[in-house]
Amino acid sequence: MTIKEKGYSHWDGEFLDKKFPWWPITRYGIKLTIRKKFFKLLFFMALTPSVLFLAGIYVAERMEDFQFMIREGEVPDFLKINPAYFKAYFTNEYILFMIVMILVFCGAGLISDDLKYNSLQLYFSRPISKKDYFLGKASVIVFFLFFITLLPGLVFILMKLLFAANFEFLSAYPLLPLSVISYSLLVTVFFAFYGLFLSSVNKNRRYVAILIFGLYVFSDILYGIFHGIFRNEFFALLSIKENLKQAGAFLFGQKLPHDIPWALSFLVIAGFCVLGALVLKKKIRSVEVVK
Amino acid sequence: MTPVIQVQNLSRWYGNVLGLSDVTLEIDAGITGLLGPNGAGKSTFLKLITGQIKPNIGSVAISGQKVKNNYSLFRTIGFCPEQDAYYDELTGWQFLTGLLRLYHFSEPEIVRHAQKALDIVELTPDKDRIIKSYSRGMRQRLKVAQAIAHEPEILILDEPLNGLDPLSRRKIIRLIKTYKQEGKTIIVSSHVLPEIEAMTQKIILIHQGKIFAEGDIHYIRDLIEKHPHIVSIRCSDPRKLASLFIAHDFVLKVNFLAGNDSLLVETNNRDKFFGLLPSLFVEHNIEVFEITSPDDNLQAVFDYLIGQ
Repeated sequence: MTIKEKGYSHWDGEFLDKKFPWWPITRYGIKLTIRKKFFKLLFFMALTPSVLFLAGIYVAERMEDFQFMIREGEVPDFLKINPAYFKAYFTNEYILFMIVMILVFCGAGLISDDLKYNSLQLYFSRPISKKDYFLGKASVIVFFLFFITLLPGLVFILMKLLFAANFEFLSAYPLLPLSVISYSLLVTVFFAFYGLFLSSVNKNRRYVAILIFGLYVFSDILYGIFHGIFRNEFFALLSIKENLKQAGAFLFGQKLPHDIPWALSFLVIAGFCVLGALVLKKKIRSVEVVK
Repeated sequence: MTPVIQVQNLSRWYGNVLGLSDVTLEIDAGITGLLGPNGAGKSTFLKLITGQIKPNIGSVAISGQKVKNNYSLFRTIGFCPEQDAYYDELTGWQFLTGLLRLYHFSEPEIVRHAQKALDIVELTPDKDRIIKSYSRGMRQRLKVAQAIAHEPEILILDEPLNGLDPLSRRKIIRLIKTYKQEGKTIIVSSHVLPEIEAMTQKIILIHQGKIFAEGDIHYIRDLIEKHPHIVSIRCSDPRKLASLFIAHDFVLKVNFLAGNDSLLVETNNRDKFFGLLPSLFVEHNIEVFEITSPDDNLQAVFDYLIGQ
């Protein structure tokens, strides 16, 4: 006699939601990325500027020990630790380029592999919502990019305070931590959408990697061509890099690199994120069977 | 007592294509076979009850709880999809433990669950091989393993016996029956009647997105018996065999096919007919090359039923 025949009764308890259902997806994504060939080398290369800028903060603070390096006894502009110094770190082309390269490694296969292997149905038959899936995947990108953006920014401020042994720097630039946080968030969120959006458009990880890199470079080339022909600053809006530089300059309270309203660059960045979210919403779903 | 799965007016379209239309039914514990030809709406139905796609109309409740946006409920469900869904570069072990992590089990629990599931589907010796090197049967068993690994109350298997060799098929059937003994609910879809018959008496017939019939498998068996069945036999002496057949009242018609070594026999009693065949071959020393049933598929049965 089966249990059913004896009388089957349901469990009437409540299912408890886990706090971060997306965390296993993130953890697995991080693990897979770290295991990739050359990723550690690339990551180290991406961290090099932060070490140099940190050294710059130390040198600027111990200027009396480094007088022999300075002509005419005057501190050069690039060693003046102020928001411009931070802006120079965050919006320099090498950092943006390395962010894109890291995205190529950690972001290209995030969704495309799941599409290739039909595994979305495995995720969605488990206690995972679309939102959790997206958060889990996006957090992989956020994790790596924070190492190049937010973390160095906060370490720079902390080290400056430690080297100076006072809070003068913070009282002189009270909004700087906010600038660091907001710019890091902007760059990270933008590239998370950028990476996931492109990862969801094709099942081939290599093709997606080319797309991630190609679109970034192509947008800049396009800007170069149109700007060269028409001499109009508004074409900077076509370039991902220029929009990020423009937004960075605004957030760090520096002179804008292009003579166009900063809000337009924010609009372009936000527009791209919205477009990415819409495409992701359409693409991230279980296999539908139509025969 | 509420049924385990309760479906009301469930409908789903894919653009202009009707996936499922106005389905209302209740499924209790035990094994339920979902039977229908390819494209009937079986996978759509299973994806709807596992919350993977949302219905255009209607609702699904599992254990009395609505499925829509109730993700915690999926802890109690194990789903084995029809299509392959593997990361080829992973080993069977990595694949299984990776999926178990989505349930937030602790590491020792993950190891225990994964090991148990691999033992059940008899894949333990191959757990450290990459999935790419697995045979079709091993892949299918791994797919079943990922569905049972977290010990769900409800097991939903979409064509689990597809592409399996007879031995693996028997193993999976045995596993499904064991689950039934534990008081669990299992839904198995297939387009092959004998596959379902080997597991359960309780079936749901689905065709063109609609529930065609629901109940005991004997019901459809009886309908099939009434439906004249055609068998094609290629043998060494078809004329002699034909003369032997016509002596039996359950043989309705015999036709000879071109090539002179085949005949088509129409019978209204499949079991009696197939019961008679071996003795005729042996007693009259007729060599058999091939026996096929041109209409022994569910589509033919459905066409016949719809015609009625």
